[in-house]
Amino acid sequence: MASPADATASNDSTPVRPERRGRVRMRRAAVMAVPATALTAALMILTAEGALGVQFAISGMPFVVTADKLEGQGFAQYGSLDEMIPDSPNQGDTGGQVLVVTSVVKNGKLNNLCQSVDLGGIKLVLTAGGGSTPVSVKNLAIDSDEIKGDAAFNNIEIGRDSSTFDKVDQKGPKGVYGQQAEKVVITDLYQHNYAATAAVFKLPDLRMWFGDKGCPQ
Amino acid sequence: MNRFHEWRGQRPFVGGLLLALGGAEILVTMKAPLPVILHIGMQGLAGYLIPGVMIVCGLLIMFNPAQRLFYSIIGVLLSVGTWLTSNIGGFLIGLVLGVTGSVLAFGWLPDQEPRKKRHQLRRHRDQASPAATP
Repeated sequence: MASPADATASNDSTPVRPERRGRVRMRRAAVMAVPATALTAALMILTAEGALGVQFAISGMPFVVTADKLEGQGFAQYGSLDEMIPDSPNQGDTGGQVLVVTSVVKNGKLNNLCQSVDLGGIKLVLTAGGGSTPVSVKNLAIDSDEIKGDAAFNNIEIGRDSSTFDKVDQKGPKGVYGQQAEKVVITDLYQHNYAATAAVFKLPDLRMWFGDKGCPQ
Repeated sequence: MNRFHEWRGQRPFVGGLLLALGGAEILVTMKAPLPVILHIGMQGLAGYLIPGVMIVCGLLIMFNPAQRLFYSIIGVLLSVGTWLTSNIGGFLIGLVLGVTGSVLAFGWLPDQEPRKKRHQLRRHRDQASPAATP
C-alpha cells in the first residue's frame, strides 16, 4: 500500500507545499467522461427498447381464455420466459419459470369471451362480449403455453426476428424467433395463459362468478 | 480546518466522495431481503456487491490517491453496471453520482499550481477558494 503522499510523487522531490494543490484537469476528465456518458446512454436506450412486454411476476396459476372469434389488426408472436416470484408455491419443478409464446394484438375484437382460472377445486369464471358488442382490446400482449383454434392470417411473415416487428407497437427480445401478420382471424380460440397485459381492455356484458365448470372448450 | 484543506488538496477528494456517496445511495435503494437474494443467486448478490465495491473504490481514491486511475476506472464501470444490477442505478441518482465522481478522480492531477504563483505563496493562503486559478 502506498502512502497518501505518493500522490504527489509524480512531480519532483521538493517538499509538498500546501499551496500547490491537486486539481481536476478538464481535458483529462473528458477522456473518461465522454465514453462513460456514451456507455450509459447506450444502456438506457437498449433497456428502453427491450423493456416492453410483460414485466411482472406471474402467479404461476394458469388461466384459460376461450372466444368464439378473435379478429385482430396487427398481430405478432414470439417466444419468451415468464418468471414467478421467488419460492412461489405454484412453481412445482419448473424452477419458477414458464416458457411461453407471447401473442400481441394491436387492435382486436373478441366475440363471446370467456376466462376461467382454477383456484383449487372451484373455478373463477368471467364472460364478456356475449351480446351485440364484442370485447375490444388495444395493445394486448398475452403469454400462453398452449393455443388452439382455426386461424387465418393476412400478409404473415414467419421467422422474423422478434426485435424488428413493425405491425405492432411492441418489440420482442433480439435474436428470438417471431412471426407477425397484418390481420388475423381465429375462430374457436382456446388459450392456456400465464399472463396478459393490455393498454385498453373493454368488457361489455361482464359477468364473473365462482363455479364448478370452467370455460367450455 | 487548515490541515483538512491541505489534506484535500493532495487527493481527488470530491471525486472519491461522490463515488462513495453514489454507492451508498444505491445501497439505500436496495430493499430485497437476504433470503430472496440468496435464492436469486449471483444476479441478486451483484445488486449489493457492486455498490459496495463502489463505496470501497471511492474511499480508496481518497485514502490511497496514488492508485486513483485504477480505482476510478473500476468505479466508472461499476457505476454504469448498476443500471442493470441495482434498481436502474439507484433510480439514476447513484449512477450519475458514481460516474461524475469517477470522472473527477480520473481527471485529477496533483500539484497543479502554476509556477509563476510561487512567489505569491503567502498571499495565496489568504484566498478562500481552493481551486481559484485555472
